[in-house]
Amino acid sequence: MLRNLPANWDLETGLVAIGSGIGGLSSAITAHDHGTSGLVLERSDQVGGVTALSMGEVWVAGNHHAAALGLEDSAESGFRYLKRLAMGYGNDLAILNIVVHARHALRYFEDRIGLKMEVIRDCPDYYYRATNDGVAEGRMLEVVPFPGAALGDWQSKTRLSPQMPYGLTHHDMFARGGVANLMKWDFALMGERLSKDERCLGPGLAAYFVKGVLDRGVPLLTGASAEELIGDGERIVGVRAKKDGKDLFVRADRGVVIAASSYERNQDYNKTLSQQLELGSMVFSTVDGSNFRLAAPFGARTARVPDITSLGFNVAGEEDEEGKPLWRSALPVIGQPHTIVVNRKGKRFGNEAFYRSFYYTIDIIDGGNQTHPNFPCWAIIDSQVREKYPFGPITPGQDWPEGLGAVAGSISELAGKIGIDAKQLEATIAAFNSHAEKGEDPDFGRGTHPWSVWMCGDPFHKPNPNLGSLVKPPFYAVELKRMGGTAIPSTGLLTDHHSRVMGWDDKPIAGLYAAGNSAARMETGAVMQSGMSNARGMTQGWLAARHAVGNPSGLLPEEARRLGL
Amino acid sequence: MRSAIQAACCRKKRGGWDFESAGVIEAEHSVLVCVDIDTVWRYVKDMQRWAALMPGYRECMVIDANDSRWTLKVGVGGLVRTVKVLVHVDEWREPACVRFSYGLEGDPVQGGGSYAALRKGGAETEVVLRVTVAGSGPMAPMWEAMSRPLLPKLAKSFAEKLKAEIESAPAGSPIWKPI
Repeated sequence: MLRNLPANWDLETGLVAIGSGIGGLSSAITAHDHGTSGLVLERSDQVGGVTALSMGEVWVAGNHHAAALGLEDSAESGFRYLKRLAMGYGNDLAILNIVVHARHALRYFEDRIGLKMEVIRDCPDYYYRATNDGVAEGRMLEVVPFPGAALGDWQSKTRLSPQMPYGLTHHDMFARGGVANLMKWDFALMGERLSKDERCLGPGLAAYFVKGVLDRGVPLLTGASAEELIGDGERIVGVRAKKDGKDLFVRADRGVVIAASSYERNQDYNKTLSQQLELGSMVFSTVDGSNFRLAAPFGARTARVPDITSLGFNVAGEEDEEGKPLWRSALPVIGQPHTIVVNRKGKRFGNEAFYRSFYYTIDIIDGGNQTHPNFPCWAIIDSQVREKYPFGPITPGQDWPEGLGAVAGSISELAGKIGIDAKQLEATIAAFNSHAEKGEDPDFGRGTHPWSVWMCGDPFHKPNPNLGSLVKPPFYAVELKRMGGTAIPSTGLLTDHHSRVMGWDDKPIAGLYAAGNSAARMETGAVMQSGMSNARGMTQGWLAARHAVGNPSGLLPEEARRLGL
Repeated sequence: MRSAIQAACCRKKRGGWDFESAGVIEAEHSVLVCVDIDTVWRYVKDMQRWAALMPGYRECMVIDANDSRWTLKVGVGGLVRTVKVLVHVDEWREPACVRFSYGLEGDPVQGGGSYAALRKGGAETEVVLRVTVAGSGPMAPMWEAMSRPLLPKLAKSFAEKLKAEIESAPAGSPIWKPI
């Protein structure tokens, strides 16, 4: 192993967490509560990481909240569910490891940091009804609103989401018809929460963990970029960070946890590690693959699973805090009634209301003519959407922003404006309409997944919440662009069941751990389930710290034996 | 609660305002400026100066003596949005009162407000800034919910910057120099 010890250490601690999302924070909290000092290095000026940008869902099979509600579930069922989604691209022991430990980690943080979570009622697994092990509700958890004022001086330094309506819980939104029924939401409640800075969703989840670190007096160094790991020839023993332009050598007696998310803001890595071209991104610029650059000199092994390319769009005048155009996800809008997505031939090419199916089609290559048949593509909506539903940030009653796509009085005129075949687009819409009126989509099965209704359907729309005809002019077309999956990567550092980073020699690298999106997704494999990223961050950070402080979990071998793995 | 100074300002001429409308969000902030009321007036009588004191100010285009178009970058959570605001001054009443109304271009959001000043001894002036916002159309409650936490911060920031700007001008200097 590399030996690159500095002449002097600037700081000495037990465990260093690189990154202040749920993975890094959970490891620092766990180390502290096992009697080991910790320190968190955060490269940006705000803490909370990508966790704070998320919807804050945490997927935990067999959790005690569901049990308290009388919802039947088990870790075994959760394991079978994820194993099916993994399609052989994951690792059975990695799947089992997350499933059996997530519920214990959940309990741990609820007991230790005052994390308050509850079941998102009526929120199904992605594949509920498609497999016996999918559940109608119970596994998807969210936080009880967090009082931002409790963060004290860190209130303004704890990240908020520019995209998520964090003044409301999932329950608040979906009890009133979900995203499509924005007009029915309780905005008085939202206004009250925003005024009091009560944080729901991802910002709330991140804030609970930030508070946990602050309460323990664990140092949170912002603007501190981890540049290099330090090895003593046998194990990782520290980090060289840059802060205020100066090197800061931090000794870590028990280990270093890389929880610095992934590489979505690095186009070179997107292309070479994920085979994705020119991705837009909803995450901040420090998500640029530092996990690989830090671990590679010590022989860290990477692993890759199949991934999707998401779709999104920009609205002029919207920026993120770094001054870059803000990206809006197409996911919540393209499965609404009166909406389809077509390719340059004017044809639909998948179930727009189920992104875990639809987005695998975006980057399909036609080797015959070296094209992506389904990219570029356009969302087509009619005026019923404009009257009833949001389209990203554009709400009913709001002017359609200048420069956002094309607007036309007829389908053929719209096709002409965006340069696709008018007759084919008319035929596509005519066929879609005739089936939509019957609540059917024989071509792609749109509107058959309960999750589609929950995520992007209008439950008040009959006969099918995800299907409605496009008949009312004017019509609108918005070109959708490739977008990353909010830092959920296809490639990451390969870890074992204690979150130890593995080398190419198939041995763990002593003293080096990875958690969350920095680690390879061997527990999800081919198909992701919402809520898994936060669950794995929390669980892997907890497992890493437990191992680092000499109290590793012994649960996996027991469970593996029990299940005959 | 509207202050007595603001009430006096608004009572004189209500114009098209309706402060009591349901759904209207309002905020008020007062500051004591350590210069006399006429000096304060020389500063505030130029609407361009008001725009420049707004958080996220980018540009102010003067249309005529009473109308201007402000470009602001407004931060909500982690989102920064460029908005264009058409501002109309309903009343200039030297040296104690200005009433204005505004609307966002492209967004169903309108509002109004007032500046009220009161002599406080020889060289002090109490300034009360009041601003209201209301949404319209089917999403009015959403716009109002998003405005609720912003408005008090905006009123406070504006009033404090106004005070700082006026008081920081050296004695005898033309604080109304062109911006």
